[in-house]
Amino acid sequence: MSKFAEPMTRLIDELKKLPGIGSKTAQRLAFHILRSTDDDAEALAAAVRDVKASLRLCSICNNITDVDPCVYCSSPTRNQRLVCVVEEPTNIAAIERTKHFNGSYHVLHGSISPLHGVGPEQLRIANLMRRVEGGEVDEVIIATNPTVEGEATAVYLSEHIRRPGLKVTRIAMGIPVGSDIEYADEITMLKAMEGRREL
Amino acid sequence: MALKESEAIVLRTYPLREADLLVTLFTRLEGKVRGVARSAKKSRRRFGGALEPLTYVKASYEDRERQELTRLDSCEVLESPLATQVSYPRAVALAHVAELLDELLPDREANDAVFRLALSVLAGLRGTEVWMPVTYFELWITRLMGYLPDLSECITCGRVLNGNRAFFHALADGLMCLDDKRLASSEISAESRTLAAQMFRAPVESFAGAPWPKALGADLRKFLIQTLQRHIEKKLVTAGMLEKISS
Repeated sequence: MSKFAEPMTRLIDELKKLPGIGSKTAQRLAFHILRSTDDDAEALAAAVRDVKASLRLCSICNNITDVDPCVYCSSPTRNQRLVCVVEEPTNIAAIERTKHFNGSYHVLHGSISPLHGVGPEQLRIANLMRRVEGGEVDEVIIATNPTVEGEATAVYLSEHIRRPGLKVTRIAMGIPVGSDIEYADEITMLKAMEGRREL
Repeated sequence: MALKESEAIVLRTYPLREADLLVTLFTRLEGKVRGVARSAKKSRRRFGGALEPLTYVKASYEDRERQELTRLDSCEVLESPLATQVSYPRAVALAHVAELLDELLPDREANDAVFRLALSVLAGLRGTEVWMPVTYFELWITRLMGYLPDLSECITCGRVLNGNRAFFHALADGLMCLDDKRLASSEISAESRTLAAQMFRAPVESFAGAPWPKALGADLRKFLIQTLQRHIEKKLVTAGMLEKISS
């Protein structure tokens, strides 16, 4: 026999499916929802429903959006000829926080990962190729992660999108701001030296 | 328990809990070891780029009582695959080496010969050439694991195959002569068998520099992969990806 009433058990089971949520946390969350007001519980249910019903991928850049094209692709104030390629939609927020990038984006939804069977054909590259081939882009900035997988993705993309008149760049790698060179690991230091710039 | 220190090759990492990583290391001291790198996802300060697959590191770790997973204390990079450009074929080749080591090596069993092989092949994979180091690694790992049959005689009749045509089959334990080959067998050329014999006599560096197209030794690699897959009883993810690389 279940420890809780059937609807409660069902809610706990559903919450347990979320990443990082174990049995105890799921129970705590379920009881919190039970104790909350009807309005709050309804708002949570509606938010979950809406996120599935209204969100989709932007047909231009693959960003997750509720309007197509997304706010970045439809903005008249952004430079649509400058495209920053990122692995995940969450990476856009990190770049936007700089308040210095005024171009558009392209989201790959992953990176080349041979150990997981993910090759270039599993990534969302086709619409980037169309943008590049259509002559809509002057520069592509590849902002994939500085990992083996991110590097392989960057090199693959640069080889495949290269066209006359198109500038392909890679974000710089090196010492984080506010840290100490003394504590930098060898490979980070090597990348920092390789990516040095003239003052 | 005392902190252990060993040279190691990082094979794989998996996310664990909020900020930790579960790391599989091939250590020189104790063979394959699995451990937890605390806060490795959140803070890059302690491990930096040392936990990237196929990074050659000096690892410090500590076994915990009644726990299977070790606690990874620190990793100092000795050689990183990120030091040179990671092209797509190179990324697949590196992943292939990592997958083979992870699948074939038993836990906590030191194997210095395999460790030396892995290091020399990783050095060979620093350049743009992938097919030679991959062929060399597959051949030697199959032999060192004890799965490589005699390439000079037919497993059915015992006839010497040198100078004769030889065939292999996904379900057969070795090479077969023309008379004993099974239906849907593939042929392994005399050139590839000669190549294998040369690779058994010389280090990987001696094959570097010469052009090595994908077609060279392709039948030998197919035979080796079939042999390995039959022994581990599963398909190697990276073998299929290597196959799809065009040149």
